[in-house]
Amino acid sequence: MSNLVRRWIPGLLFATLPGLVVLLGYLFSPSPAGSLPGQFVKWRDILIEWAVIVAAFAFLLGIFNILRVHGNRISRRQQGWPYSLVLLLALVLAWVPPLLPANIPARDVANRAVFDYVIAPLGAALAALVVFTLVLAAFRLLRVRRSAGAVLFLVVVAAVLLGSAPFTGLEWLADVRDWIVNVPGMAGMRGLLLGVALGTVITALRVLLTSERPHTES
Amino acid sequence: MNVGAILLLILSGLLLIALHILRRKKGPRPKIRPLPAFKDLRAETGYAAESGGAVHIALGNGGLSGEDAAQSLAGLQVVKALADTAISYGTPPIITVGDPTLLILAQDILRRAYERAGAAESYDPSLVRFVAPSPVAYAAGAAYAVASENVTASMMAGTFGTEVSLIADAGARRDLPQLAAAADPRALAALYPATDRLAVGEELFAAGAQMTGDRRYLIGLLAQDVLRIILVLAILVAAGLAFLSSGRGG
Repeated sequence: MSNLVRRWIPGLLFATLPGLVVLLGYLFSPSPAGSLPGQFVKWRDILIEWAVIVAAFAFLLGIFNILRVHGNRISRRQQGWPYSLVLLLALVLAWVPPLLPANIPARDVANRAVFDYVIAPLGAALAALVVFTLVLAAFRLLRVRRSAGAVLFLVVVAAVLLGSAPFTGLEWLADVRDWIVNVPGMAGMRGLLLGVALGTVITALRVLLTSERPHTES
Repeated sequence: MNVGAILLLILSGLLLIALHILRRKKGPRPKIRPLPAFKDLRAETGYAAESGGAVHIALGNGGLSGEDAAQSLAGLQVVKALADTAISYGTPPIITVGDPTLLILAQDILRRAYERAGAAESYDPSLVRFVAPSPVAYAAGAAYAVASENVTASMMAGTFGTEVSLIADAGARRDLPQLAAAADPRALAALYPATDRLAVGEELFAAGAQMTGDRRYLIGLLAQDVLRIILVLAILVAAGLAFLSSGRGG
């Protein structure tokens, strides 16, 4: 009995039933409003709304987690604590514009300024760093792993990069790049995505069948 | 009505149920191909712990409410498989997440591992850290954790894009053993030069089966393999039919 209550009922109630309804809602969409498939679509939308609300609460927990982790680091003067202080100050300051009354014109301006002058440039700067880490990783690959696969990887990367650049006399490389991207690249990508899709389907079905229970002990 | 999707789901569901019934709790365990990415991972966690450091597990930016939920669940299987070992050595893992829905589950897995070890009072929720919701900011924050904390091994399993190279670079600079499992081709391209212990694409979903040997995971993996064979045969038959019909038309 306790096994039934602890293991099966929560799984069926909170995973299988809502999961099936949402799934059927997607599979039978679009459907006429009054029909049974239409009911699935309606309940799918309701359940997704609930999920969004729960996810919003999870965000609150995430913010508390940030406050806790970085608050501890500051109070214990751990390595890098000034960064944590800056992070917490930025977190608090970012809350100020949205909390201002809606009739204050400065609210929208300040809100936009936070995105335009802080979040977007910082994000772009970090994204630009990714290019350098990728190039560094390629060089490191030559040093630590001298295999046929590594050499092939680097040759393909070089061919695609050079083929994308408008160098005079290297126009033929653009054709090589197109062939690499459209034939072996696309074939590999499709195979990969098919495999991932199958893995996703099986994982989802395991949750629906309560074989996968990330929320319980077993 | 999406007939193709319905057929695939029914076929997968029936296959999974059939395998569960046929191979449940009796008979030999299904044999699976060992993957270098997950080989001896528990032992390595032990070695890392013996050297006094923690294992960093990056679960990526996926959550439970998006299309990458299955990849996030696969990442959680890595946490599940390693938590007991790491805690028994007294060096709990540092887990970074980029979605708060994953934060709750990862904290729960760690808390239960502490309870199993009889050390519930030692559980510290801040071992699981929500870094940032945007992918690049998350990668930068996780890279900082790898670079600045007492980390002796770095694992990346979940939803990533090219920005994962920031985390991999931080690990490489410290010469840490690194393991990665990702499904996104862009992340794989970024991870390939960083580590030779890379689980590619669907291999991410094999994490639970490879690391725990749990029959549930093994059966899921078996179903996945059977479905793949069916799909390959269907593609070959469809291509053959298309070729024949084009020959007749010409």
